[in-house]
Amino acid sequence: MLKLFGAVLIVLAGTLAGFQRARQYADRPQHIRGLIAALQRLETEIMYGFTPLPEAMRRIGLQSREPLKWFFVKAAEEMSPPHDRSAQDAFQRVMEAHWKTTAMKGTEKEILRQLSCTLGTSDRTNQSTHIALALQQLKQEETMAREDQGKYEKMSKSLGLLLGALIVILIF
Amino acid sequence: MANDWLQLFPEKVRALLQTLPSPLLGMVEEIRVRENRPLEINYSGRYHFLSGDGSLTQIPEEAYKPDREDTHRLLDLISNHSLYTMEEELRKGFITIPGGHRIGLAGRTVLSGGGVEHLRDITSFNVRIARAVPGIADGVLPYLLDKGRQRIMHTLILSPPQHGKTTLLRDLARQISTGVQSKREGVRPGLKVGIVDERSEIAGSRRGIPAFDVGPRTDILDGCPKAEGMMMMIRSLSPDVLIADEIGRPEDAEAVTEALHAGISVVASAHGKEVSELARRPGLGGLLEHQMFERYVILHRSEAGLSFRILDSQKRGLLLVSAEERIGGDLHA
Repeated sequence: MLKLFGAVLIVLAGTLAGFQRARQYADRPQHIRGLIAALQRLETEIMYGFTPLPEAMRRIGLQSREPLKWFFVKAAEEMSPPHDRSAQDAFQRVMEAHWKTTAMKGTEKEILRQLSCTLGTSDRTNQSTHIALALQQLKQEETMAREDQGKYEKMSKSLGLLLGALIVILIF
Repeated sequence: MANDWLQLFPEKVRALLQTLPSPLLGMVEEIRVRENRPLEINYSGRYHFLSGDGSLTQIPEEAYKPDREDTHRLLDLISNHSLYTMEEELRKGFITIPGGHRIGLAGRTVLSGGGVEHLRDITSFNVRIARAVPGIADGVLPYLLDKGRQRIMHTLILSPPQHGKTTLLRDLARQISTGVQSKREGVRPGLKVGIVDERSEIAGSRRGIPAFDVGPRTDILDGCPKAEGMMMMIRSLSPDVLIADEIGRPEDAEAVTEALHAGISVVASAHGKEVSELARRPGLGGLLEHQMFERYVILHRSEAGLSFRILDSQKRGLLLVSAEERIGGDLHA
């Protein structure tokens, strides 16, 4: 009886781990999509709204969904008094602290870091060029993330279950 | 808020400025930051370098020299981390920040089609601190009222830069708009005042709300080109008195003429030392020739204080108030 309970526990744990992994594969393209939408909004704010960055980030944050909402609102806070950090510093700090709450990986982080170096330091056309570049790179990442999702999402789920089962078989 | 402009400076420079005694800090008029060259401040018309330990000096070698990081940070802070919102300002060479403080810039210009397209590698900053000096117009205002004390006469204020034109305009706006309701000084109704504040210096508006007291009946068109703004004001806001800073271009003169014909009093300022000089300037010459202005106020500020002369439309002197008579009365903000 106890053995059976243990076996069920192991299989359950395996399945959950598999589902967790699958969710990361499913979330990543969604988060990238969210980031793309946010950057497009940022471009509009810069090009047509002449909105200063802290205000623009706050607005975008409020329009976005978690975890990006948090990311932008926090960055806006870092850029406002009393911190008054530059866009580069603010992004860096927020990314270091909270990148793990998103399903995104190092490549996306690097794209955002590169963008943050030029954000707010040049005229509108220049800003637009840099944002467009970041958008293009992010779209590529999104395509790749979707492919990964197609390949690995279901597989992770079944793999988790099977791995649990394998351990049970090996033990008994 | 006193000395809120300190927030503008990068940490190192701010710390240096904060070591200055506070009465002196309250008198600072200009702070000049130049990359790799001595940090300079100006108060009461005199210039001093600021050394690394916060003392004042006249020797350039002893002074603190802001580095590249300082100037970058300063630019980032004054542009609210968003240089792209300042394109027009960079073209003109100055930025006005909330609070009415004006920052003149110099660097390398980028040309396009022969005109200045952009300013980059900005390395020189001249931060001019705006302060309200309530009461500075006390001596001037009685001479600008007509006999019935109901109307303000068309007035042109003249002085070289840094002699207090904008400060005087600001206080005139406040007093004209407020009016007087006391038994002792008699009753003068407040008038509707429209300020066309092209450089956001008179009212120092922050999100459209004036940072300085410019009176309860005052409307401000913030950041609007003067000529266009004056016409908009006349059409939409029916002011009794129209106030504009630093008129000079032909289209400004045209708008002033329009306002005068519409029965609106105009109080404006212009760069210049003498009325006769103005006649030679293409924009303003016509206004002078047709005796459009009924009063001229000529300001002069020296270390002793502010003095002014008032002339009538025929350029006859009405009044001369020298600095000695007013000593100590003016510049204590």
